[in-house]
Amino acid sequence: MDIFVAIWRLVYTCIYLPTDQILKWVGDLFDLSMDILFNLPAYTIEFLIVNTKPLLQVLILPGLAFILVFAIIAVWFERKFLARAMLRVGPYYCGKRSGVLQVFADFLKLFMKEIIVQEDIDFLFFAAMPVLVSTLPALALILIPFDQNWVLWNVGDLSMPMFFAIAGIAPLLPIFAGWASNNKYTFIGAFRVAYMYISAEIPLVICGASVAIMAGSFDLTKIVEAQRNMWFCIPQFIGFIIFFLGVIIEAERTPFDIPVAEVELVFGWRTEYSGILFGFTMMAEYVMFQAWALLFITMYLGGFNGPNFLGNPMYSHIFWLVTKFAILVVLIVLLRCVFPRLRIDQMLRLGWRYLTPLAVLNLVLVLAMKLLGVF
Amino acid sequence: MTEPVIEPDIMRISWGPQHPMSGQTRIIIDVDGEKVHRIIADLGFTHRGIEKILEKRTFLQGIIPMERMVMADTPNIGLGYVMAVEEVLGIEVPERANWIRSLLCEMARINSHLYAFGLQAESTGYFPAVFLWTTIDRAVILDLFEELTGARWSLNFFMPGGVHNNLPEGFEDKVVKGAQYLRKRFEDYWEAMVENAVFEMRCNDVAVLKPEDAIRLGATGPVLRGSGVAMDVRKDEPYAAYADIDFEVVTESACDVMARTKVRYREIVQSLNMMEQIACEMPKGPIRKKVPLFARSKAGEALSRVETARGELGVHMFTDGGMNPYRVKINSPTLRNMYVFERLAELDELLVADVPVVINSIDPWYLDSDR
Repeated sequence: MDIFVAIWRLVYTCIYLPTDQILKWVGDLFDLSMDILFNLPAYTIEFLIVNTKPLLQVLILPGLAFILVFAIIAVWFERKFLARAMLRVGPYYCGKRSGVLQVFADFLKLFMKEIIVQEDIDFLFFAAMPVLVSTLPALALILIPFDQNWVLWNVGDLSMPMFFAIAGIAPLLPIFAGWASNNKYTFIGAFRVAYMYISAEIPLVICGASVAIMAGSFDLTKIVEAQRNMWFCIPQFIGFIIFFLGVIIEAERTPFDIPVAEVELVFGWRTEYSGILFGFTMMAEYVMFQAWALLFITMYLGGFNGPNFLGNPMYSHIFWLVTKFAILVVLIVLLRCVFPRLRIDQMLRLGWRYLTPLAVLNLVLVLAMKLLGVF
Repeated sequence: MTEPVIEPDIMRISWGPQHPMSGQTRIIIDVDGEKVHRIIADLGFTHRGIEKILEKRTFLQGIIPMERMVMADTPNIGLGYVMAVEEVLGIEVPERANWIRSLLCEMARINSHLYAFGLQAESTGYFPAVFLWTTIDRAVILDLFEELTGARWSLNFFMPGGVHNNLPEGFEDKVVKGAQYLRKRFEDYWEAMVENAVFEMRCNDVAVLKPEDAIRLGATGPVLRGSGVAMDVRKDEPYAAYADIDFEVVTESACDVMARTKVRYREIVQSLNMMEQIACEMPKGPIRKKVPLFARSKAGEALSRVETARGELGVHMFTDGGMNPYRVKINSPTLRNMYVFERLAELDELLVADVPVVINSIDPWYLDSDR
């Protein structure tokens, strides 16, 4: 009897089952399987990313691979691009006429060269400085948000002050390096570093403060979120210009490569370094450039946000940040074709007489906007 | 050389001879922080004894070592010597030879000024463009030299009594074409360099040399004309064909580094005009008067003055009746200007970063000053 009733009920349910419901189940099942079939690589990558995130961050994105790949591409691009401006060909033989491998050849050469050390200097101190000067600014990269969930060291409300603190150590090291080299050129170069960075970093910090006021937070991720509708380069145009100059100054690039001016001080504070130690000092320039340029994009150019046609997943955020960064690199390299070098007194005048008051003006404007409720 | 004692709180830097920008000399700079306290030009690194060599050569052989003084400007330097020899031997030069001489001298002036212009750009840290542009554009002049004389740098084309060869067929047209090309390029230079904001910042009001100081210290060439003193041997004592050629003496009144750069720029434009004029109005006739190979002179002396690219060159030649000069004294423009450069630290406040800019504004050629 029970079996009969059970069979009857099954038949009854089958008869009265809503067919569209079943079709929907089948359709869902199909969709799911197709989804798994086609997006399996993406899901695998996402799974891996979620589970090995810190390792990937250290090794790839804000970490080692990003820094090295950027340095290689930037050096290659700069050489080829400047060569075009000078009516030359540029690196030609390494890497099938494109010169891509020239950087590796240079690295190999620097690595195999003898490190010449003067008498009467503290070698450990002397040799530690280039290593530190290229690695310490790299620490600042861990604070840059590449996505809401892709920040290596999320210190929340402290991230912008922390960036300034870490990046603020970096100028000390060239001063030590110049002093440790026991040479007159390096000595003058080291003090030029000191003058230049002090005059540049004060306006930069004031600009940072005004950005934080406008965003309502010191958290870099929240600053990016606050720029979802309008990038801060529009309301804070003065700060934008100041920070753009600041990036060039911090990276010691033309027209502000005053501490390493070849024509007067042989190579500034780097004069006495040879071999791989010199390679580290060159690397330092690019690392500083990278850290400050990424902060600049995060603060003024909308950070990782971009046009939404790629959807809003993580890889699109990373893509937009790296794209903006690449455009900025091209712009700053272009400046090297166009401008000579400023003199140190002109640099100081620029920093103290123009940039600092303008940064304060920018702060006042931001406060006014905030009080009037525009933002 | 005996170096002055260093005062307390002053650091002494050696700018050269092992330095990316210095060339074959050493400039000792005493600095007080970034300020330049004193400049000492330690010349003589490339002394080759050209004056002594000339005593051992016949008049014709002497042209070759003489031209080694300034390789960028060999026709002008060689002309100074050749004119002294002609005065000693009492030779008249045919008119066409004089015009060819003027043509080559102006082309060499352009070549030399282009080099100076590029170095001026490089000394401000403007490495990428202008130095290599000028280097490439100099090839226009050098190709013309090669076609006419067979050499690109040391031409050895002038000889007592005239010039070596006649102009090849169609050479005048090529000169005009080259001048037109360079004139077009010079508009680019003006925009890229002279009107560049940062270049102006670096060069305006730097190392001001007032006219009275320039005259007192014996400045010459573009340095003197950059201080507003219109002095040019080509105008004051016309030699070669300069009496028949239209040109004006370029001066600038600002007296600073920028003024000297602009003087060079405008002098190149003048030289381009002169190139075209000479190519169009070149007279016909013989190019050389026959002079015996081993000519003997009478005892006496001669002085020739030539306006080279760097300034006035004086060749004072004494003869005792032999086949070679008894003594040749060369008054070279770079040596005079280097003396001015040393004093500039006292006349105007200089910074360490100004030193390469200022020294390239006087356009030194150390082989010229060391002889």
